[in-house]
Amino acid sequence: MKATKEKTGKKLSAKTGGYLLLILMVVVSWGIFKIITPDNFGSPKNMLSYFEASLLAAVGAVGFYFVMVMGMFDFSIGANIMLSAIVGCVFATKFNLGYVGLVVGAIVTGALVGLINGSFYVKLRIPSMIVTTGLALIYESVANYIAGGVEQTLPSNLRAFGQMPGNLILAVIAFAIAYLLLNYTKIGTYTYAIGSNEFVAKNMGIKVNKYKILAFVISGAFLGVMAVLTISYGSSMVAVTGMASMSRNFVPTMGCFFGLAFKKYGMPIPAIIIGEFVINIIFFGFIALGAPTAIQDVITGFALLIIVMLTTKVAKGEIVK
Amino acid sequence: MSEIRLQIKDVSKHFGITRALKHVSFNINKGEIHALIGENGSGKSTLTNSLAGIYQKDGGTFILDGKEIHPINQVDANNEGISIIVQELGTLDGLTVAENIFLGHEDEFVKFGIKNTAAMNKRATELLKKYGFERIKAAEMIDNYNFEDRKLVEIVKATYFNPKILVIDETTTALSGEGREELYKHMKRIKEEGNTVIFISHDLPEVLRLSDTITVLRDGDYIDTVKSSDIDEDGLKKLMVGREVSGEYYRSDYGEPVSDEVVMRVRDVSVPGIISDISFDLHKGEILGFGGLSESGMHEIGKACFGASFDREGSVTLADGTKINNIPTAIAHSIAYTSKDRDNESLVMNQSIRDNICLPSLKKLSNKLHLLSDRKLKKFANTYAETMSTKMQSVDQFVSNLSGGNKQKVVLARWIGKDSDILVLDSPTRGIDVKVKQDIYHLMDKMRKDGKSFIMISEELMELIGMCDRIIIMKDGKINGELMRDKNMDENVLIEKMV
Repeated sequence: MKATKEKTGKKLSAKTGGYLLLILMVVVSWGIFKIITPDNFGSPKNMLSYFEASLLAAVGAVGFYFVMVMGMFDFSIGANIMLSAIVGCVFATKFNLGYVGLVVGAIVTGALVGLINGSFYVKLRIPSMIVTTGLALIYESVANYIAGGVEQTLPSNLRAFGQMPGNLILAVIAFAIAYLLLNYTKIGTYTYAIGSNEFVAKNMGIKVNKYKILAFVISGAFLGVMAVLTISYGSSMVAVTGMASMSRNFVPTMGCFFGLAFKKYGMPIPAIIIGEFVINIIFFGFIALGAPTAIQDVITGFALLIIVMLTTKVAKGEIVK
Repeated sequence: MSEIRLQIKDVSKHFGITRALKHVSFNINKGEIHALIGENGSGKSTLTNSLAGIYQKDGGTFILDGKEIHPINQVDANNEGISIIVQELGTLDGLTVAENIFLGHEDEFVKFGIKNTAAMNKRATELLKKYGFERIKAAEMIDNYNFEDRKLVEIVKATYFNPKILVIDETTTALSGEGREELYKHMKRIKEEGNTVIFISHDLPEVLRLSDTITVLRDGDYIDTVKSSDIDEDGLKKLMVGREVSGEYYRSDYGEPVSDEVVMRVRDVSVPGIISDISFDLHKGEILGFGGLSESGMHEIGKACFGASFDREGSVTLADGTKINNIPTAIAHSIAYTSKDRDNESLVMNQSIRDNICLPSLKKLSNKLHLLSDRKLKKFANTYAETMSTKMQSVDQFVSNLSGGNKQKVVLARWIGKDSDILVLDSPTRGIDVKVKQDIYHLMDKMRKDGKSFIMISEELMELIGMCDRIIIMKDGKINGELMRDKNMDENVLIEKMV
């Protein structure tokens, strides 16, 4: 009888290996575009702005990770961000609540959307993908109603979270909270337990439905923070309908894939943050190249598949669904 | 007279129309190892799962030390002083060893909502050291450990808080000799501390050796409670089955020549890190046994012969020259395989008995337009489920609702229905009662006489000695000996080559 895996002092720890892999990805993606378009891409200043842009989605992705790691999904991410941003903006401007209205309004709205998502999913016993798709349509309509069909603009005196250091401070606080929840509270342990085997988790006295709803609430609150960063960075938000908000789902979801892929290294949150940075490097690389949007999407899609394929390392024989 | 620890009064439980427990009543004393035996589907696990909060009973009461208890989950049962080690895997991926040990009991490490991971790891390390499992690291992800090590973690999890009652549900079959000895040691310790062990096992000599008292259940009914010292194996079999278990248990023939016709030729097969340079021939009508410690690599042999091993080197060739390199080729050429890990690798749990039995035979069962008839599938499934005497309501019942032994019958029914010529059976009688075992042995004997060939991988040495024409012993991934069928062979000859 022996442990299937033996550690030696000389071997790199899983975490160090994971970090090296992520840093390698940053260097490779930067290197490729720097070689192709050396003049208008990849200067230290440029890299800092790519990183700033990546913070937005990274904040949403760390929250969404709680939902995904439990084996659930959320198609209403985009609608949530849009609705939370509009409510935050309305609170800040029309109710003259300033930054408090913006931040609290957006986070509470996000959490409320999460609560509705989780409650509907648990009570109706409908797959999370279907529930959140249906609800996304409703959130879009509510956002459109609140905005009165008009683009909501955040005045320049309320955009501190759209630039350094405001955006960085808010994002770091969000990451720290996510890290704390995941590693130093029961919520984190139960999140992984439910994701691993819901039946056994239930038998261990874990209130599975409560923690599933909580995961949606946490995810929603982080998407609320992402909404604050998004409207502060872009200065305005348009309430689109007809599921057009789905386009906002893509980037946070991609970051979440990084988190899931690097879970085995014990570093999902750093993986999400650096992963979103890599995605942004690729994205801005294409812009620097002047590549058409369709080509950008095709190559970004392939890049995602390659990155996840290379990092996931599914054991032979392991079933992938 | 011993003091009563647990009174089980009139306990009933239904699953749909199946009456799993029918007004069961008996007492369990303090400071004893109380075995619970019965055929598959007799209600043993249902009773203990109800006691441990995994199931909710429909009627009756559990009275622990004079107080009525109603555990609603395992943690609740733990708080009442009851813990359980389940038959299948009870630890969770994605969590560390320490998190698994204290799952549901994190509160002792939480202050102001923040979990003290370092303190939890320290406490788990102390416990692992105390149990002699130092090589299992508290902070390591449980995913990094094998099935047996994870069972050892479950032993720690179930016993560290000195439960009043520990239920061990058919756990020993998942453990190697060393692991079993560890478990026995802790059972003895619990008993000596004045607490109680409820021990479920199909291994009757083990039951007689370890337990003080034995309660027998049959088809959900309470049959009897006897002192281990007052009964023998045959007496227990009679109580379990309800009649004398007559006739031979294993094969009775000796000296019968095995055909020279080779049906499968295995040459230089290696799977990195598991087995190396394995070569043997399987003959027509032969039962070829593989024995060894659970980590010896013998379980990989079955997978390698079925084309299910990854990174396999070497060749597996049939008599007609067909190379078996993948599972579809194996099935198409009449090879069957049953895994030791029945629930995860052999059965589609959330599908009906019908679907499970018909799965590899769908081509044969479809018409010219490749359409399937529900009636035909049902008839086919019924025929083979009944051949195996599967206890079920109908073939539409979900496999997940069956007992361990009946699940195994479904797996075997599937391959008998497929009319496979070569059957690779890995631990075919794991967790199976004496009557079903006898049925399986008789079936193998009959099929052998009909020219079917078997590779039988087993950790039960008596089974290998009783059933096989030839036994290959594995050690450290290599063949360490080969023994021919012999009336005078005993376990020690095999053990010598295993360790």
